[in-house]
Amino acid sequence: MPVERRRALTRTLLYGAASAALYLLLYLFRDPVLKASRQGGWYFLVPIGVAFAFSLVHGHFTGHFWELFGIRAKTTKK
Amino acid sequence: MEIGFIELTLVNVIFLFLVGFVGGLVSGFIGSGGAFVLTPAMMSMGVMAVMAVAANMCHKFPKALVGAIKRHRFGQVDLKLGIVMGISAEAGVLYGAGLQQSIRETFGAAGSNLYVSTVFVVVLAIVGTYVLRDAWRMYRSGDPDREKITRLARWVQSVHIPGTMMYFKSIDARISVLFTLPLGFATGMLAATIAVGGFIGVPAMMYVLGVPGLMASATELVIAFIMGMGGSIKFAWSGLVDIRLAMILLAGSLFGIQLGAIGTTYVKPYMVKIVMGVIMILALASRALMIPVYLSDLGRIDPLRDTTARMLGDISFAMLILALTVGAGIVFAALIRGIRAHHAKLAAIDAPVGTFTPPAPAEAVAFPPAGRLKRILLVTDGSEYSESAVGQAIDMARRCDAGLFAFTVLPTPFYASPFGDPLHKEEKRQAVERLMKVRARAHAAGLECEILLGHGEDPWLEIIEQAEQSAMDLIVMGRRDQDDVLRSLLGSTTGKVIGRTRSDVLVVPRGTHCAGKRLVLPVDGSRHSDAAALTALTLVQRCPMPITIVSVAGDNAGLPEARAIAERIRMRMHEAPLPVEIVVRSGIPDRVIIDCARNRQADLIVMGSHGRTGMDRLLMGSVTEKVIGQSQWPVLVVKPGQHALSGKVSAPLSAGQPRSDAARPQIPRTQGAQ
Repeated sequence: MPVERRRALTRTLLYGAASAALYLLLYLFRDPVLKASRQGGWYFLVPIGVAFAFSLVHGHFTGHFWELFGIRAKTTKK
Repeated sequence: MEIGFIELTLVNVIFLFLVGFVGGLVSGFIGSGGAFVLTPAMMSMGVMAVMAVAANMCHKFPKALVGAIKRHRFGQVDLKLGIVMGISAEAGVLYGAGLQQSIRETFGAAGSNLYVSTVFVVVLAIVGTYVLRDAWRMYRSGDPDREKITRLARWVQSVHIPGTMMYFKSIDARISVLFTLPLGFATGMLAATIAVGGFIGVPAMMYVLGVPGLMASATELVIAFIMGMGGSIKFAWSGLVDIRLAMILLAGSLFGIQLGAIGTTYVKPYMVKIVMGVIMILALASRALMIPVYLSDLGRIDPLRDTTARMLGDISFAMLILALTVGAGIVFAALIRGIRAHHAKLAAIDAPVGTFTPPAPAEAVAFPPAGRLKRILLVTDGSEYSESAVGQAIDMARRCDAGLFAFTVLPTPFYASPFGDPLHKEEKRQAVERLMKVRARAHAAGLECEILLGHGEDPWLEIIEQAEQSAMDLIVMGRRDQDDVLRSLLGSTTGKVIGRTRSDVLVVPRGTHCAGKRLVLPVDGSRHSDAAALTALTLVQRCPMPITIVSVAGDNAGLPEARAIAERIRMRMHEAPLPVEIVVRSGIPDRVIIDCARNRQADLIVMGSHGRTGMDRLLMGSVTEKVIGQSQWPVLVVKPGQHALSGKVSAPLSAGQPRSDAARPQIPRTQGAQ
């Protein structure tokens, strides 16, 4: 396997694992998270923070995922 | 208010993931969309309306963030314009939400719904129709890459209001923020009203400011991020966000938005407009269906029965899902087509050799004279089916002192998956190896042989183009199998090549070889069979073999005509080195021809082709194709060049006896043998 592809695979697996871990944590700690969300006020930081964290990790994973399958943006030389 | 979070089942999770994916796909492509389905979809699961809106909002801003970053990398985002419009859109959201609230308090839920639906229908009817019309114009313009700036946008760009001017890279001009502010405000207001601000924001950027379609849809993601972020904070402050719902939606939608964003790099700008316009029109039809229900609730029309109202509601929701699905389908199709075309282009660039050596200037004519055999294109796929074709082509090139060119076509991979790319490379290596073996066999027979590897989605098209570009006189190919219904309906590679090429084609079935025992020449009096006769004569002069001319009549009454045709051809073949005999029969042409070849122990059939393709061939049938399908010997299909078709065969059938169709005695046609 070429080095470039191996790296891409490693990156995808790492982000995939991190993303899965985040979802697992959300599942395990759903009750305290929902309780905090329900309080409102400055607790708004909880859902917003969670959304940012997921977008960062899961966003990277999905991007690498499609690239791994060869679906990447068309690049044109200008 | 009591805040209740619903219990999530596995089915709910999968449903949200899938809807999120489709919504994300569309958003990544057109910058918005999806929300109008997601909110009712969550409500159908039992989520309170306000919490459904909150969860939708809270998944929207991280989704838009990822999409905006992605498309920013493609150079499609005008960040400054997005931020300027996003801020004013936020103000529009607050105002729109307040307006909604006051309408609800004054006219109740039905009044509010009626207001939303009416706005939806009116706005989308105007904007959607305009967007589709513009897409159609671009498509028909002959230059679909070029987007025309509207007169309104040109005027907006020309207005100079001191102290308010701002440069935006997407339009490469300075415009007054006094124009962007109301547009952003309207976007936000519409987002608060019908949940899809992008339906006004993107067209406004395109037609009022003059932003190109792709950049407008990408910049809309920045606006959606700002609006979604503001809305999410507002809902989260009230404790209304069910982060589980939002994150499940996000899980699917981030897969979708990445794909949608990538899709924009493969399509022409009008595709964004088509997707947006189609979704708008379907969505407005969905909302229009609900207007009678709301009017009934308000007592403005006779009350509808419960079943009717429920049915209209179900149809309306189904149409929303249809709108999103159709949009996603168009995006998918455009993405797949774009990727395939791009890979085909890349594969062609990677091809080891561009083209065969061109013919000498004297030979380079678009329509070679019938019977010329100077350049032979051997098409091989390395299978057992093309093995006999290799031997036959080498033998023929040696006998006719012709140039031999071996060609293989590798189908372009559908897309380069982790397994697809190495597989394609391996296929390429094997194909080159096969070509090298063919060349070694040709060298062993004392022949030079050029080799070439072609790439393309349709092998038959590559073969035809290569034969055309390299001015080949003859294409030699194997035959996969006996004809069957499916093959005749779909067409084999060989059939398609025969139908469309202008070169002659020698089809060599597996395990056969023409050793020069006898040549069977079916004739029907047409120019096509004349051309075949000329080629047959050329062949037997190089490789002496007896000829059997076969003429088939539909019934016994046609036998004298059939005999006259055969006699005419025999007279013109007096230069043939070995005897020429005639067989005249009545019956089904292909059966008679095959029987004759079998009985006479022939090992080559030479016949003309009318070159019918498509529906014509399907309806009328092709004797040539039937003979090829049943033949146990090589079949040479002669394609008359332009000269032959116009009745002026470039070389006479017999020296000293120049002829043309005009000079030929008028003989009534018998049942066509070709």
